[in-house]
Amino acid sequence: MSDDDARPVRSISGGSVQEAELGAARRVGWTAKRDRADSPFAQGVRRLRRSTTALVGAFIVALLLVVALFADVLAPQSPIASDQGHTFERPSWSYPLGTDQLGRDMLSRVIHGSRISLAVGVSSVLLALFVGVPFGMIAGYYGGRADTLIMRTMDLILAFPIYLLAIILMVIFAPTAGLIGTMKVTGAIAIVRIPIYARLVRGSVLSIKEKEYIEACRAVGVRDPWILVRHVLPNCLAPIIVTTTLGIATSIIVEATLSFLGLGTQPPTPSWGWDLKANVAFIQSNPWISLFPGLAIFVTVLGFNLFGDGLRDALDPRLK
Amino acid sequence: MTSRRLLPGLLLVVTALAWLVAVPLRAEAQTPKRGGTLRVSYGNEVAGLDFHTSPGYEMMWVGMNVGCGLINITPDGKFVGDAAESWQMSPDGLLYTFKLKKNVLFHDGTPADAAAVKFSIEHIMDPATKSGMRPFYDAVHSVEVLDSSTVQIRLKHPYAFMLHMLAGYRTGLVLYSPTATQKYSVEDRKQGKPEAVVGCGPFKLVEWVKGSHLVMDRFDKYFEPGRPYLDRIMIRVIKDPVTEMAAFKNGEIDFIASFSPDHVSTLKAQNPNANVMTGKETTPMVAQMKVTVPKDGKPMSTERAPHPIFGDVRVRRAIGCYGLDRQEIVKIAFKGQATPWVGMAPPGTLESVNVNSMCPYDQTKAKALLVEAGYGPSKPLTLELMTNTEKSVFNVIATVIKEQLARIGVTANIRLVDKVTWMNTTLQDGPWDMYVEDLLSLLTIDSNGYLSTAYVAKNSSAWSHPRHTDTKVDDYYARYAREMDAGKRKAIGKELLEYMADKMYWNTISGSPFYMVAQPWTKGYVYNAEFEVHWDTVWLDK
Amino acid sequence: MLRRLLQIIPTILGITFVVFVMMRSIPGDPVVSLLGDAYNEENAIKARQDYGLDKPILVQYFIWLGKLVQGDWGASILTGRPVLQDVLVRLPVTLELIVLSMAVALAIAIPAAIIGALRQNTWADYTATSVAMIGVSVPEFFLGILLLMVFSVGLGGFLPSSGWVYFPGTCQTVVCAAGLWGNTQHVLMPAVALGVGRAALLTRLLRASMLEVIRSEYVTTARAKGLSERPVVLKHALKNALIPTVTVMGLQVGFLIGGAIVVETLFAMPGLGTFGIDAIIARDYQQVQGFALITAFAFVVINLIVDLTYTFLDPRIRYA
Repeated sequence: MSDDDARPVRSISGGSVQEAELGAARRVGWTAKRDRADSPFAQGVRRLRRSTTALVGAFIVALLLVVALFADVLAPQSPIASDQGHTFERPSWSYPLGTDQLGRDMLSRVIHGSRISLAVGVSSVLLALFVGVPFGMIAGYYGGRADTLIMRTMDLILAFPIYLLAIILMVIFAPTAGLIGTMKVTGAIAIVRIPIYARLVRGSVLSIKEKEYIEACRAVGVRDPWILVRHVLPNCLAPIIVTTTLGIATSIIVEATLSFLGLGTQPPTPSWGWDLKANVAFIQSNPWISLFPGLAIFVTVLGFNLFGDGLRDALDPRLK
Repeated sequence: MTSRRLLPGLLLVVTALAWLVAVPLRAEAQTPKRGGTLRVSYGNEVAGLDFHTSPGYEMMWVGMNVGCGLINITPDGKFVGDAAESWQMSPDGLLYTFKLKKNVLFHDGTPADAAAVKFSIEHIMDPATKSGMRPFYDAVHSVEVLDSSTVQIRLKHPYAFMLHMLAGYRTGLVLYSPTATQKYSVEDRKQGKPEAVVGCGPFKLVEWVKGSHLVMDRFDKYFEPGRPYLDRIMIRVIKDPVTEMAAFKNGEIDFIASFSPDHVSTLKAQNPNANVMTGKETTPMVAQMKVTVPKDGKPMSTERAPHPIFGDVRVRRAIGCYGLDRQEIVKIAFKGQATPWVGMAPPGTLESVNVNSMCPYDQTKAKALLVEAGYGPSKPLTLELMTNTEKSVFNVIATVIKEQLARIGVTANIRLVDKVTWMNTTLQDGPWDMYVEDLLSLLTIDSNGYLSTAYVAKNSSAWSHPRHTDTKVDDYYARYAREMDAGKRKAIGKELLEYMADKMYWNTISGSPFYMVAQPWTKGYVYNAEFEVHWDTVWLDK
Repeated sequence: MLRRLLQIIPTILGITFVVFVMMRSIPGDPVVSLLGDAYNEENAIKARQDYGLDKPILVQYFIWLGKLVQGDWGASILTGRPVLQDVLVRLPVTLELIVLSMAVALAIAIPAAIIGALRQNTWADYTATSVAMIGVSVPEFFLGILLLMVFSVGLGGFLPSSGWVYFPGTCQTVVCAAGLWGNTQHVLMPAVALGVGRAALLTRLLRASMLEVIRSEYVTTARAKGLSERPVVLKHALKNALIPTVTVMGLQVGFLIGGAIVVETLFAMPGLGTFGIDAIIARDYQQVQGFALITAFAFVVINLIVDLTYTFLDPRIRYA
């Protein structure tokens, strides 16, 4: 019997009852190769390949990664060296995107700024993930006091409007430049996002916990952490991936907004958010020096959003 | 009659008619129109409305219109009477007698008489009031009421700047109504309760809703007949320069009280007819260096040890004197619209002296001094350059300084903080190496005392951020303030400025330009930097 | 049910306590700004004593709490103004902004979702979803500035750049500009800047929910009866789809409150957003507490309503 016949159970992961039963009957921890080829995951990937939005998004994300990785090579000039003689230049061959108030080449700044945005976006979300997922798993799996304690804390963080918490945290950390400054922003955004992952995973765990094959595992004597990693985690994988991708998009916007309020990564580190804020005052006389960082943010966030949406459609057919 | 004889006659008549018509038209354009609301935009919030204690220029400018004082100072440095009609100084310089105008009233109806003057000065001098103006009244011994409209101030020693102080240090003296001050608390005044914030100025406070608006209405019983012309003044706070410029361009505001120098050229380009007012800079843009640190690590301790980097005068001179290209900074940060400057007193301050020749830009000399002080490739100098976000131009200057220091082998790491953090760090003797800021406007060299005197005793000024311990500076200040002969005094002033530049206890980079902007229909405003902001002469031509 | 109501209290307490502690973790205190020129050690120590800032944090918190239950929200350290009064004056502004932003979000989401549901997987569908997607990829302040440039500066002041005219009846100050047209002019751009970003999620949800309803047998039966498609969709699908969407809207309030901070700062609106951020930066402890209190209260109450609506709709979900 192929899994195509099986109607997906109302879980957020897409696993089928039959696969679970099949797996339980065999040796724990191993799935038939045939099943895997037709597994929902493989189906998901196929759907992904067919979705235009996801492909466009993926392309943008890939482009961004390339730019960020090879920024040093791609940028024609140093992003922080100011050239006092060439301030506020219009776009030309030597300065494709013009220069800003301090004579810095905007193209180089935009290229290098991708590093900050990507770094903050990705690491804040990953940090939230690495903290939130284990907590969520523990809370969901063990329940009881651990659950209450963890979820109360998560609720508390979630009760804060996102910007309020991020602002207060940044004021406490005191914004600075360079790597430390970026880490502070990352930390602030990560803290705000941790509960999302914790809740997500916990919900997933709760829905799986009572399944028979988990009980079977325990009866056989498989240890808890192994169960958590091998069986529970894969079921949460899809929503985690989707949330992560979309979370990167949100993080980049939050970073830009914090910079607008003066609380993001400080100059001279090239940051799209900072450039946008600092240069937007000259928007009437020199629009490009603020438009281009803004455009960069827009395209990047759009890319992640499209890709994340495509992923969600592919991995979670219920919403299609 | 022939046309030839007719022509001159006709010409005469036409000219006469034209003149008859034109003159009234022109005169009409010049006569101030009564009425209207002046919409003013501030870049920062008013901190509070107790004129004797609340900080900030935004408060002061309200205070200058809601309150009145004894005298004011004109842009040419002359004194004009406010509530005072005339004044005299005794030959020994110890007695100042003011004769007050008879019709000066507070907004609550009580008279602004000699008793009120005595009350106000004593209120400021009272330590319990905690007024920031108090140090300026150190020279005052007592105030006597001679009769209801004559008041006499007795000084302990001659003070060359008594009148300047009364006219234009901060708000200048603002008269408080004894009745209102005793009836309402300082909290009532601070929070801007209209019945508590009582002055004798042309406008009375109607309402202050922090974050929304501040409204003052014409005081009908103002002692200058016919003034003020405006019915009402409405002040709003617009922090973002983009929004402020948009509001100005759309005609939503009539007057910008303090405009960011960064964006002046943009504003001018958008509004060619706008009246952009500025003058010789009276505010110094400084890159201060910390001279001492607390010996035992306890902030504010009077036991001082030299700062690890800037305790050495050679390093101060290397970096502050020879290592900074002031011309370049002015060119980048202000597009050349400021004066590169070394002296402690900015170009527009009274009796200021140009000592730029003492500190020419000289990379070689700077490097040599650093080597002498022990720095070099084997021991590179790294320091932290702090600045705050109050004005965007600070960061621009800090960035340029960073570049310039790199040329002489010094690494400067910029630390950008918000104004409150900056104030906390500098006032509370926290750790900092160098900062870029523009402090405040200086009417006279004397008014800079509390920012630059030695930190040697418990009651030394916390505002003297570099915390140098050289009491020779205090001696200079004291001699300067007491010298009544202008010639001798200027010589002392010059010596003081040269001394400060030599020791680099104070490091000015340039003047910090100040701009006020008015719409073409906002007429009658007399520009006098930050010192005198009076809207009672303003009228709207629309 | 009662238990759920009672749970509000510890949450609000928790939030306000966390904010309390965080504010005091920020280096620096308001005493320096308070004293200004008169700053010296002696005055500072006395001022701290006067305002109770030298007491242990827990004691300070309970003093604040004690006053709160008597209806006294305290007074700003810097200005002496009563916090409750300031909050009440600012509340209508932010409230109006948030409500209208939601309206804007719905105004975009409903047509987009209808198009998407009716013309699923066609170009119209993709366009509609993309429009919503674009909105969520731009930082609110950037969108705000673009709107400002186009509608305020570009059109010569067609829409005012800043300030506020109160909705008739909501004004509480002596000098009050109120009027419907003036109010609309002032709130339009901020509401659009804030609301556009929320449209994407709502579109997706509405669309998905509508699709579910459309596919359900109920609608098939209606169609079988001969009713034409559009009224069927609009009446039944939309109505049913709105319910879960409304609950999600409630959860979006957190983003809105945070976004309001930014938008209000940009458009110089006298609302709670500017109140909050000014207070945080000025270290005005009492004002921040007031801001945290009202924000937490609003947030928690809305979440409660959302939760109750949810459980009301789906009795299978038991609430712990």
